Amino acid sequence: MGYYSLAPVWFSDVVGSTLMIIISFGAVWYASRLKKAEPSNVMWMYLLVLSVALAGFSISRSVAHLAKHLMLMTGHTYLWELFRPYTGAINSSTFIVVAAVTLFFQRVQRINAQILADKIALEKATQDIGLLNRDLEGLVEKRTRELSLSEKKYRGIFEGSMDMIFVLDEQFNFEAVNPSGLATLGYDSNDKFVQLVSLNEIFFSSSDYDDLLRDLSLSGSIRDRECRVREKSGLELFILLSLTATIGDSEREKSYVGIAKDITARRRMERQLQQADRLASLGQTAAGIAHELNTPLGIILGYTQLLLRNCQESDDAYGDLQIIEKHTRTCKRIVQDLLRFTRDSETKKSYVDLVMCFDEVISFFGHQFEKEGITVESRVDPGLPKVFADGEKLKQVMVNLLVNAKQAISGNGIIAMAARLDPEQHEILISVADNGCGMSPKTAGKIFDPFFTTKPVGEGTGLGLSVSYGIIQAHGGRLEVESEEGVGTTFTILLPLSEESQLSFEREPA
Amino acid sequence: MRRIDSREAQGKILSNIGACAILLIACFVVCLAPDKAWALQIHSSPEGLYVHQLAHVLFAFSMAVLAYWLEINRFVEERGWRLIQISCLLFLLWNLVAFTGHYVEVRIPADLIEGRAGSWNQKIMIEGDSIAVVYYFLKLDHLVCVPAILCLFFGIRDLYKRTLIAARDK
Repeated sequence: MGYYSLAPVWFSDVVGSTLMIIISFGAVWYASRLKKAEPSNVMWMYLLVLSVALAGFSISRSVAHLAKHLMLMTGHTYLWELFRPYTGAINSSTFIVVAAVTLFFQRVQRINAQILADKIALEKATQDIGLLNRDLEGLVEKRTRELSLSEKKYRGIFEGSMDMIFVLDEQFNFEAVNPSGLATLGYDSNDKFVQLVSLNEIFFSSSDYDDLLRDLSLSGSIRDRECRVREKSGLELFILLSLTATIGDSEREKSYVGIAKDITARRRMERQLQQADRLASLGQTAAGIAHELNTPLGIILGYTQLLLRNCQESDDAYGDLQIIEKHTRTCKRIVQDLLRFTRDSETKKSYVDLVMCFDEVISFFGHQFEKEGITVESRVDPGLPKVFADGEKLKQVMVNLLVNAKQAISGNGIIAMAARLDPEQHEILISVADNGCGMSPKTAGKIFDPFFTTKPVGEGTGLGLSVSYGIIQAHGGRLEVESEEGVGTTFTILLPLSEESQLSFEREPA
Repeated sequence: MRRIDSREAQGKILSNIGACAILLIACFVVCLAPDKAWALQIHSSPEGLYVHQLAHVLFAFSMAVLAYWLEINRFVEERGWRLIQISCLLFLLWNLVAFTGHYVEVRIPADLIEGRAGSWNQKIMIEGDSIAVVYYFLKLDHLVCVPAILCLFFGIRDLYKRTLIAARDK
């Protein structure tokens, strides 16, 4: 039993109350910083409110305790007795506030969990969208690359095709034509061509065009149809045309895709082959006839000359016999020409200088032609190699062509003879061109037929060009003609180069 | 299920707190003149102590509930929340101490304490099994509530520092 000092209680109360105030303010300060650091976090807001409530509790309690000590120590007991009920009430109230705030924790925590879940879901959705977006970009990039490659491939086919490829709209106007098509038709600008030309404009015959449209509307496509078209300069071309109707995205959008192959050269070759066949059959027939006629004609000519020798010029029969002899000679010449045309007469080939050939032929005819107002021009490429051929027969061909050219010119005119080398084709091209009356395509197709002539009866036998044709063929070459009525005619001899000629040319190029 | 964003949640909390505040202000106004309360029933002086004691009980209950929630929601895995949980438990203990202290205080005979009230040199007469011994130790309640508020302070500070580190790492 005894008295014990309450000083420890007094000190712990004073110091503890002071510390409570300071520390509670520290807690509020950190809680407010926390709230500022993450304003959207509900838990930090809860902590701030809780710390404020606890600070309120600490202040109410500690201030009351300190005030009590101060008032009692200073002898203001009555003041303390006055304030005591209020401090107790306030203190109780702060307890309730702290309790009320604290009990909100679970609700706040649920809200925060919901917000966090939403945030995670949102972030995942954003991530998914980002991934999808990235995938989409990759997909678009891949598709674009594939499309580009595809476009490049088909563009290459379109641009690089040696055949004509084109697209027509519903009215058969050209929408697009590849470079080969433009070149075939003689155009050099795609835009210009597309703006100006429609399919019917390039067709040579309107009936062919109408037939094409009819068949196209019936079957929807045309396959390998041979058509005649005209190029820009008006020259006739043969093409093998395939055309297909295509329907666009909209049912109303109809267009046509076509491919055309230029077969003009093939047709020309076929025509020459037909010509050769015709000449061969005619030649065989003519050879038989000529052979049969040659002997009786010789006998008629011999007997006629015998009778003439025994006849006086004053005799009545003398003139008749001369006429018989003249016409018999004509017949014999025709027969001889025929035999020369048909017989594979021996050719004596050697290296012939074409310049000399030209000079000889022109010097032979030049004077006479000049008299008649016809100028003969000669142009031979310098360094032209010698040709392995029968020089005499070549001269005979040139003479034939010159005579024909002269007869085509009525009045003044020009005959141009030229010779040049085509190194790519390994050929020598000899051309004889005149600015005479020219020929229709129909006539030009028959000029190499034996006995075909446009000259008056008795002036030509119709064998000159046939014989020339035969001679050039015997040399492995070709004789071609290009003619336009009212403009002129050009005959072209194409002789192949012998290997030696070619070698000599390569050693000494012009 | 309707989603709630942080602003809406804050608004709800504030409105709830506001409602509580109005209630408390009403209580406070009544407490300004407790002896002249125009209630139908007369409230004599011991009611103040009972209210205070009940407030301690409510305080202790809320602290116990918060500590429990922090535990079951696994908040205590973070150091900051664990300190806050310890703070709750200490406040719970303090409430028990204070509640007992108030209980004992009214039962201590006035003649056991000598010296001027409020002065540091007061003395208390303690007998062998006297209630005065319990009263003496219960009056040292700051040894519990100061560590409690200190744990709260350190807990919030720790959460703040971790939040700053996380923000910097992000």
